[in-house]
Amino acid sequence: MKFLKSHLLEKVPMKIDTSKLESELTRLGLEVDSIEKLKNKSDVLFDLDLTPNRGDCFSVLGIARELAAASNKKIKKENNTLKASKLSPKSKVKISAKTACPKYSFIEIYNLDNTKKLPNFIKDRLEAGGINPINPVVDILNYVMLDLGQPMHAFDLNKIGKHINVRFAKSKEKIQLLDESSKILNDKCLVISDEKESLAFAGVMGGIKSSVSEATDSVFIESAFFVPDIIRGKARNFNIQTDSSQRFERGVDYNLQSLALIKATNLIKKYLSGTYSTLSTVENKSNLPHQNLIDLNLNHLNNKLGFEIKLTKLKKFFDALEFKIESNKKNFLKIKIPSHRFDLEIEEDLVEEIARLEGYDNIPTINLKTSSSVFSNSVYLQTLNLKKYIANQGFQEVINYSFVNKKSLQDLDISKELIQLKNPLNENLEVMRTSLLPGLLKTLKSNLSRGESFMKIFEEGKVFTKSSRVREQNMLSGLIYDQDKKKNWSSKKQFSFFDLKKFAVDLLTYLSAKEVKFQESKNAFLHPNISLDVLNNGKLIGSFGRIHPKINKSIGLKKNFFYYEFITDELNFKDNYKISETSKYPSVQRDLSFVIPGKTKFDNLDKLARKLAGPNLVDLKLFDLYESSEIKNQGSSFAFNFTWQSKFKTLEDKDIDVTVKSIVEGFKDKFNATLRS
Amino acid sequence: MDLAKLKAGLKKDFISSSSSEDLKKLKVKYLGKKGKITNLSKQLGKLDTKERPKAGKKINELKILFEELNQSASQKIEKKELETAISKEQIDVSLPVDSNHIGGLHPITRTIEKICSYFSAKGYLIEDGPEIESEYYNFDALNIPQDHPARDMHDTFYLDSGKLLRTHTSPVQIHAIEKHKAPLKILCPGKVYRSDSDPTHTPMFHQIEGLLIDENVNFGNLKKELIDFLNYFFEKNLQVRFRPSYFPFTEPSAEVDIMDQKGWLEIMGCGMVHPNVLEMSGIDSKKYSGFAFGLGIERMAKLDFSINDMRVLFENDLKAISGK
Repeated sequence: MKFLKSHLLEKVPMKIDTSKLESELTRLGLEVDSIEKLKNKSDVLFDLDLTPNRGDCFSVLGIARELAAASNKKIKKENNTLKASKLSPKSKVKISAKTACPKYSFIEIYNLDNTKKLPNFIKDRLEAGGINPINPVVDILNYVMLDLGQPMHAFDLNKIGKHINVRFAKSKEKIQLLDESSKILNDKCLVISDEKESLAFAGVMGGIKSSVSEATDSVFIESAFFVPDIIRGKARNFNIQTDSSQRFERGVDYNLQSLALIKATNLIKKYLSGTYSTLSTVENKSNLPHQNLIDLNLNHLNNKLGFEIKLTKLKKFFDALEFKIESNKKNFLKIKIPSHRFDLEIEEDLVEEIARLEGYDNIPTINLKTSSSVFSNSVYLQTLNLKKYIANQGFQEVINYSFVNKKSLQDLDISKELIQLKNPLNENLEVMRTSLLPGLLKTLKSNLSRGESFMKIFEEGKVFTKSSRVREQNMLSGLIYDQDKKKNWSSKKQFSFFDLKKFAVDLLTYLSAKEVKFQESKNAFLHPNISLDVLNNGKLIGSFGRIHPKINKSIGLKKNFFYYEFITDELNFKDNYKISETSKYPSVQRDLSFVIPGKTKFDNLDKLARKLAGPNLVDLKLFDLYESSEIKNQGSSFAFNFTWQSKFKTLEDKDIDVTVKSIVEGFKDKFNATLRS
Repeated sequence: MDLAKLKAGLKKDFISSSSSEDLKKLKVKYLGKKGKITNLSKQLGKLDTKERPKAGKKINELKILFEELNQSASQKIEKKELETAISKEQIDVSLPVDSNHIGGLHPITRTIEKICSYFSAKGYLIEDGPEIESEYYNFDALNIPQDHPARDMHDTFYLDSGKLLRTHTSPVQIHAIEKHKAPLKILCPGKVYRSDSDPTHTPMFHQIEGLLIDENVNFGNLKKELIDFLNYFFEKNLQVRFRPSYFPFTEPSAEVDIMDQKGWLEIMGCGMVHPNVLEMSGIDSKKYSGFAFGLGIERMAKLDFSINDMRVLFENDLKAISGK
């Protein structure tokens, strides 16, 4: 809402400097978007960012009321009478859509001169209000709208029929509007029509056929009250927005119609001459908004604000806002609200009005006394703990958009059960991600092009799928890309699968995930032979490994890199964390190196070794490994370091000797292993 | 045996010894099985009983002298030997190490943590909520009915399923009330979506929603809670301004501004929970009242980390977001 400072102060005669005016409006909740000092004029252009509830401030009068209320001033009275006319209007108005249009005022003006020039103050104020000049009649109507808040429309009296009807459009009814666009309306759109056809899209825009031009000499002017719900959203649905629709959809004072029409008629008469008919109004009072009384319990008021406001002060505020106290019984008031404050409905609305006039900043701050207490350990804190751990392992967290390009999911074969946006911003943001991988790949590629050659990145966030219902799952995924050819002189080693496995094992150990198992991965993103799935009680909770070569191919990146993903909510093992007592007795260590013919997985050896080593085994390390090629034709050599310790006694050599013997024999039986010396 | 000569020789020997090896040899030479002092002790038996104590005393003095000399020599020698060993161990400590890849949390996560840790300590429960919402939770239950002009301000992304991407974290208020009933204190950080993109808007961004419902909660409480928080966040005593605003789910509603070098800066929205919201979710609005507040994480991060263009937060330039 744009207006000139001089226009506002004409309504509230007072001296106030611009910055004080700005802070006063702000204090009242009328946010000042910008202030512009106009060159050549000693005036200032204000632009307010109005909240949707304050339709009453969509006029200079509305803002003036606020300023007057806050500064203890009165609005300057205007002459709002029209000299009586003996001419009856030629048009007959009927309202078919009674609930949509409870009130329709109109007047006809004849023999006006629509080529005359309007005075500068009207032009300046319209320009300041961002309203383009059209022709004098239309400009005057727009000026009155800016001034009082009532949108009006003028039809060329010679271009319309005699029987005007306010009705809903027929299905697929066509209309060509003032902006020359053609619209096909539906039966939810309100129109003004004559016997033949619709003349205007009510409350939104007039039709081009009946429009007023400089050649027009007689007009029919409408000043109506349209119910906000009827206008709301209509203009937007047809991709138009007008000064009229903006006001009607927020609401217009239902007592303003004839006042605005009088002001407009007087201005037309004054500047464009002509004669006018009587002002007529067709109305259906029962459909007008009810002027409700709002109950105000002073105890409630004081409890909501946190301090007591004296009744004398309250009366002063109500007076300033044009509220009337209809009754007052033992701190229980009934307040009558003026028709321009249609936004106020309940007690809390009055609390805000009172707080506004008191000034929010004058309300004292008060310490909270609350009773609620929290015992639940939040998921947020667990996830944060997890993210901090991963960041400390050298991973930089990234955040990608939750929506991605559909093709990026199809390329990865994860485009099933997609959730599609109906109105995406662009095709790169058209579907919800079903995995964090596409975003990480995008981050990887963009940083490669920025010259990075080593990256450890991770993201934590939701992924979305839809089968029978929408499903959101918190995931944690990371990428490791190490193609740094010019590494630091002291750490030349490239990241390997076993570095990733160490990361995963350490992470799970850190989280106290004691019972998890690894098994060959079925994750389609990963190389089938260089990857593992993580299972907890048989349930898949994550996977890690080298990225599948087909993904390398699809994103055009030849170098190997690594990926991991975990279901965040499955990584909560905090209940596993227990402190166990340490043993007071010494531990015993033995090294055993086995040569095992053929190919055997370490996992199998490990299982047997642990089984045979008995309950006192506290640690088992593989401290050396020679693969087949190094020990010609003999198989591989695995060197184990066993540590035993009992909580109850000192282990004797002879006990350990028996255990070692059983391990050696067990390995011989099962793997045909021989002990190396 | 001339004791004086032996004494002189002993002193001379210690002066000329220069290593722990030398000291070991001297020990053998004087105190070993056939050592010079040992030999003297052996001869004691051949002396007269009268002379024996006197000679014994002298031999003992010699032993003490040996120990004294040995101790001071060995101290000197150990020190010298340590210095020699240290001087042989040298590396170029000015060589660089690889510290480019230390990892870290995204600025958004850091900001969320800074805010959540404060409210968490004040007893607020940190909640998570769905990002895909129904019209009911995103709008209706928050007192924003169909065609309400406030819906225009939201630029909603709609989904093919008929649902939508939440346009604010406020729906979590409703989920929390349904789950915990009153009284409650919750905070919900999360992603929200609006169909908007320019240097100050990204189609996805983050908000934090706070909600407190209890008996006798008033506007003065809300002011106190938020002023305390803002002073904590910006680590100084700020000039804070509350001004009337409009949110369909709070009444009275307010925007909170802080004084910056350039003037007033809008920082968050808040208000007393609208009785319709409480009643719709089954809370007796006669008994309970409460306040809600919401703030944009990006804006807070922007102020805390001096970011100019919001979009940099989601372009994931690792050099930029790691703060290097």
